[in-house]
Amino acid sequence: MPDDTIEQLRNGMLALEIDAALKATDAVVNSQSKVAVKEAVEAVTQALQVVGKKFQDGEWFLAELVYAGEIAKEIMARLSPLMQAEDSQSQGTIVVGTVAGDLHDLGKNIFINYARTAGFKVIDLGIDVPTAKFVGAVKEHQPLALGMSCLLTSTEKELGKVVDELKKQGVRETVKVVIGGAALSERSASNAAADAFAPDAITGLDMIKKWSAAR
Amino acid sequence: MNFKERFLTAMNHEEPDQVPVMGLIMDPATVNKILEKKPADFVGMLQKPVMANQIKNLLNSNRFWTNMYYGNTSGALEAAIKLGFDANWTIYALMKLTKDTQASVGWAWHDPYGRVWDLGADEDGSMNVNYSRALLDTEEKWEKWVAEKAPLFETMLRNVAAFHRKLVKNYGDRIYPIGYAAPGPFENSWQPIGFVNFTRLIYQKPEFVKKVIAFQTDLYLRNLEAVMKSDVEVVLGGDDLGQKTGPLMRPELIEKLYGECYRRVADLVHQHKKKFVFHCCGNIYALLNKFVEWGFDGIITMEPTAGMDLGKVREQVGHKLVLIGNLDVSYLVVKGTQQEVEDAVKKAIRDAARGGGYILSTSHSHPAVDPLRLKWMVEAAHKYGKYPIAV
Repeated sequence: MPDDTIEQLRNGMLALEIDAALKATDAVVNSQSKVAVKEAVEAVTQALQVVGKKFQDGEWFLAELVYAGEIAKEIMARLSPLMQAEDSQSQGTIVVGTVAGDLHDLGKNIFINYARTAGFKVIDLGIDVPTAKFVGAVKEHQPLALGMSCLLTSTEKELGKVVDELKKQGVRETVKVVIGGAALSERSASNAAADAFAPDAITGLDMIKKWSAAR
Repeated sequence: MNFKERFLTAMNHEEPDQVPVMGLIMDPATVNKILEKKPADFVGMLQKPVMANQIKNLLNSNRFWTNMYYGNTSGALEAAIKLGFDANWTIYALMKLTKDTQASVGWAWHDPYGRVWDLGADEDGSMNVNYSRALLDTEEKWEKWVAEKAPLFETMLRNVAAFHRKLVKNYGDRIYPIGYAAPGPFENSWQPIGFVNFTRLIYQKPEFVKKVIAFQTDLYLRNLEAVMKSDVEVVLGGDDLGQKTGPLMRPELIEKLYGECYRRVADLVHQHKKKFVFHCCGNIYALLNKFVEWGFDGIITMEPTAGMDLGKVREQVGHKLVLIGNLDVSYLVVKGTQQEVEDAVKKAIRDAARGGGYILSTSHSHPAVDPLRLKWMVEAAHKYGKYPIAV
């Protein structure tokens, strides 16, 4: 494997050149080197952090955020079979879903892509998730955070219902609740008694990383 | 001044007698509340198999659909007249009711472009409709679809022209019905394919994306022509180019992919001696100068929940664009107090109405918008919007 393979992988991702990034990934895979695999995973994680920062700073836009996430997903699919247990140690578990009545999943899926690459175990409940399913997943998986996505104003009320049910079932204090979506604001988080509102997937992930570090 | 003179004076960046007020009333829940009508339990009826098939056959006939859709929109205009609006938007959509296992009630609307619209019921039972997913996630599916749907596009364009002409004929003496050619070429190109897929295609199959955009641009120009047959002096078009924190794509990329398309849109409208107002949700500061450059006459929406501040927009574009909207629909016209509504109206007028070029409106519409708050908004506009502006 050429010495600059990891650099090529990182550069390919940041230039949004999927062929270059995957060519470098294949070189890592073919090398069968555990060290190289570990370095490649770290390079992908770092590259996505750079992408996330560029997005938050307004240098990059949603399409680039999405495409970089898609490239990372393909790279990780090739590296995963070779990853050692210690390479994939989870930063914590996050349960995510789109609230009942809402079928929009773009923001949620971007978040999942970035969270998984950052080392979190993500339980994706999908779209149109009823309250009982959110609460059941919190009880079953005991996650660090519950992320709820909601694009529509008409489904915003579902957020509060989930938090109320978490309280009723005695598990509200065990989990941080973060909400995000086009229709929402800080006011929505306050109304629903959530812990935080994230205006975008990257900010949401940053919040969860802080909660994870503070555990 | 009458409502039309008021609206057109503001569109010319001149001061009318008072700030015009435009309604974005279209949701059945809002219309039913204003007109005190009981909604039909459409979703409930679809749960009964025999009835569902009958409804499907009925709604999917062009004649019934056209009459029903006209009835709904005329209800929206009646509602807007009742609340005292000067103008209201009118939007035509052609949908086919389709059995759909992925839809929340087992049925969904499929539109001619290849989108799925989920349908559900609001708390009062009124039907609501929202874009949910793409049907054409591969190049092959897209090619096959647009070839097969060619006759449906022609039907749609004929319906669009007849629909807007009839609305203006029947309501034009009581309100200014402004036709909206929707959805726009950006949404029509990515939504039937899906945003993630479309983004991949931009980087991996740029020639195909170019073909899709060229197809949708030509179709959109014909849609605009059809809307303009109503002979109203202003036409709305639109694409949601923004999301909560910024444009969906890099402005340079939007220019590269869609710049020519939007220039052709503005040119076409101007050839017809009309003005073009562009609806665009999200945080769009980075695109405002593009809108001017492309030749748009105005913009409508400016969502406060996406960080859009009317005063800042006016500062950035001056009187190069007419501004319509900006009143919050997440809280203000849902649960806001009368004082909060009045304060927001005063702020909007103060920020943008001097010298004309501002039309007061909510930033959007949705089923939870409360008619009483809309009434307060209109009353506040009449109270504080008289020229010369003194708020």
